[in-house]
Amino acid sequence: MIDRLTAALARSRADYTEIRVERTWSTAVTFRGRRLESATASEDQGGFVRALHAGGGWGVASFTSLDRLEAMVARADELSRAVPLDPAIRLADVPPHRADARLDLDGDVRGVPIAEKKRLLEAYNGAMLGVSDRIVDTLAVYRDEVSEYWYVNSQGTILHVLRPDVTLSGTAVARRDGTIEKGLESIGMRRGWNSVQDKAAGFRAVAERAVQLLDAPMVKGGTYPVILDPELAGVFIHEAFGHLSEADFVYENPQAREMMTLGRRFGKPVLNVGDNGAAPGLRGTLPFDDEGTPTRDTALITEGILVGRLHSRETAAALGERPTGNARAISFRHPPIVRMTNTYIAADPRGGSFEDLIRDVKLGVYACGAFGGQTMLENFSFTAAYGRMIRDGQVAELVKDVVLAGSLFQTLDRIDHIAADFRWNQMGGGCGKAGQFPLPVTEGAPHVRIEEALVGGDVGAP
Amino acid sequence: MIAQLVELAGRRADGGADALWRRFERTAIAFEWGRLKSAGTTEEAGANVRVRYRGRVGVAGTTATDAALELVDRARASAELGEELDLVFPAQVPLAPLTTFFDRAANASLDDLIGIGRSLLTRLERDGCRVNIAIERETTATSVANSAGAAGQYRSTGFGVSADVWRIAGDDVLVVSDAYEGADLPSDEALTALVASINARLDHALRVVAPPEGALPVVFTPAGLSALMLPVTQALSGKAVLQGISPLGAKVGQEVFDQRFSLSDDPLRVGRTSSRPIDDECVPSRVTCLVERGVVQRFIYDLETAARAKTESTGSGQRGIFGKPVPAYTNIVLNHVGAQHAAPLHLGGGLLGDIRDGLLVDELIGVGQGNVTGGAFSHPVALAYRIEGGEIAGRVKDAAVAGNAYELWKRVGGFGNDARWTGSRWAPSVLFEGVSVARR
Repeated sequence: MIDRLTAALARSRADYTEIRVERTWSTAVTFRGRRLESATASEDQGGFVRALHAGGGWGVASFTSLDRLEAMVARADELSRAVPLDPAIRLADVPPHRADARLDLDGDVRGVPIAEKKRLLEAYNGAMLGVSDRIVDTLAVYRDEVSEYWYVNSQGTILHVLRPDVTLSGTAVARRDGTIEKGLESIGMRRGWNSVQDKAAGFRAVAERAVQLLDAPMVKGGTYPVILDPELAGVFIHEAFGHLSEADFVYENPQAREMMTLGRRFGKPVLNVGDNGAAPGLRGTLPFDDEGTPTRDTALITEGILVGRLHSRETAAALGERPTGNARAISFRHPPIVRMTNTYIAADPRGGSFEDLIRDVKLGVYACGAFGGQTMLENFSFTAAYGRMIRDGQVAELVKDVVLAGSLFQTLDRIDHIAADFRWNQMGGGCGKAGQFPLPVTEGAPHVRIEEALVGGDVGAP
Repeated sequence: MIAQLVELAGRRADGGADALWRRFERTAIAFEWGRLKSAGTTEEAGANVRVRYRGRVGVAGTTATDAALELVDRARASAELGEELDLVFPAQVPLAPLTTFFDRAANASLDDLIGIGRSLLTRLERDGCRVNIAIERETTATSVANSAGAAGQYRSTGFGVSADVWRIAGDDVLVVSDAYEGADLPSDEALTALVASINARLDHALRVVAPPEGALPVVFTPAGLSALMLPVTQALSGKAVLQGISPLGAKVGQEVFDQRFSLSDDPLRVGRTSSRPIDDECVPSRVTCLVERGVVQRFIYDLETAARAKTESTGSGQRGIFGKPVPAYTNIVLNHVGAQHAAPLHLGGGLLGDIRDGLLVDELIGVGQGNVTGGAFSHPVALAYRIEGGEIAGRVKDAAVAGNAYELWKRVGGFGNDARWTGSRWAPSVLFEGVSVARR
């Protein structure tokens, strides 16, 4: 394959050309309630060419028939010539790399019969259903894939990578009369079959919580000190801040650049945020991004000050900064765009434990897990999976419908205490941007305290 | 390709088979922050096959379209794990004539796309703002067939234009966007309407005012209506009814909505990208009346959900290259009694005049999250305006609206005269009384 791709590159008339080819084998099993909804195996293959002609914009071509490779290389060049651009696109320098990287498949999923995958998921689904007869419905999904990936560019980079991914998710729905509550479990690894064994306890736990939530009161809306658990803190930093640190948002938009000026204070000195595409063993981890740039750890906020952003080669050149290995595409159907990898709030080594965070909180909310979240730039809204009230420095009753809403800038600035108990959240799903979803990412954080945040269980009834 | 695939699958599976083959090519251009940045092309082909084997159903899909035998065997392996299902593949029925292919869209050149983009850019650019525009055209060939002898094939075109205008002032980020989507090239009027829609909403948004508070009249624009439509369309899906999670599951024949409210799914609308003469499971397309004058009529079904529910498919089977068919809407049409169109269209559809203090909602944050089917919603606003004395006073930030979609649809304050397509939904602005509005 490499020979075929380099031969096609050699015939390109563009000043810069890159080709990606992927072949992906995947299986998916879905249970709804006690019923197997589907068990399917799929094969997907295709290629992507991107060309840049001096004085032109990007010409891109994607295709599923590899017979079309040479024609598509020529077409991408033509398209680049057809869109004159001044000033021209420049790419930051990245030394050429050659690599044949085989990530740890940890039990190659391609060697496991789909019947065995069904049995595994059936057990986890059964763990949810077995919790109580209050569990009236479940949805359990197993998904795996192995993607063989080739990348070449006209500057001499040649990569061949075998990328695994395996995810499990479970939704347990508990019901009593008109009241419906749910619990969500999600596991995702850039590994294989061995990494998803012995996970029943997590599925059981979310079903138990869904049942408990039937009796939980709705949180009383208002302003509280709020402690985010590591999962919600991770989702928060990814959604509310991470997307603004993607340089394609600012590089050609002076007003946005002003808002995100390096050196601007975003939080108190306790706040440190980064994105690390090279952290071992995580879903957002790869040796290279989809432009052939090695991934790395990039500091975004250091001691409360904005110090960095995430780049593709194009945005790095435009802003005179270093490429960070964050140009990613979900598949051969899409161009690489600036994306996060594994985004984190760093632990405060002197921050102590969760108990230290709540010790002096008289009345607060402990918000745990995430059902969902959306940001519209500076505004965000997150729904926690569940919450617990904090009363006189102690964790108290379970509460439901904990929705956090606010402005990013105000909220980041109100983070006043970060614990030392950092953990990565190895979840499934993924991130969406510009029609590219789901991109495997990971988030990590310790427990984080926001000194004051708006919590709306019922933001309606005034 | 499709005939051989069905023939092969029919031989290797004892209970019949059906298949879909689809090929599309697309050309797209993108203006980023006011500059033409890229042009792209996509060519994609794939096949999806379903077999019934020993009474069980399995599916498989591939973009490696030369591997038919392997594909069929994967579908059979999938069936071996599946549950028993009495799935009957439909016989051939004549199809309604429907134009889905428009030469002007099919033949639009890259320069045509660039020309449309530049003309929009000129009309949308303004000081302190940045404009993104994406334009694409595509042609698709679809073939479906089954072992009962039914088959259909059609070519279709699609054209999309989307534009968003960004204004960042300090820490205030304002984005106003709109899109044209159709099977044909947009007319000059359609592009002018797109520009007018963005500019009108942007002009009114420049002034920020304090949000109102309380149980108030709230007008939802055709785009803003999503939060109120989503619970209804989810509840009218046969899949939700089968799962026992649809609040409308037992309400057929009952008046659940305002008497002026009717809703249908219409795959036969000429000029829409979701329109097609036959669904992805060989069932001929027809209009499905979901709600008639407030009374629930029926739900949408594909072959599998219909078999489980012991009813007929409504021709709502939709399948991609990967995964199994699912029941899905094509063009959702909200019809209301007294529909009238005013030109030129005004923001609010003529519903604002009698509102002393209220809100006009164009976009909400987080629609689709949480327990949607239950009908309760609570969302911060992304783009909303305060209405005072019948006029738009300015944009509000830091406000949230909440309510229950079913309660609100029971008594509608009024339907606007501004019905339009938003994606594949046709609806006007709608006024609801007593929606909770809270400040943050």
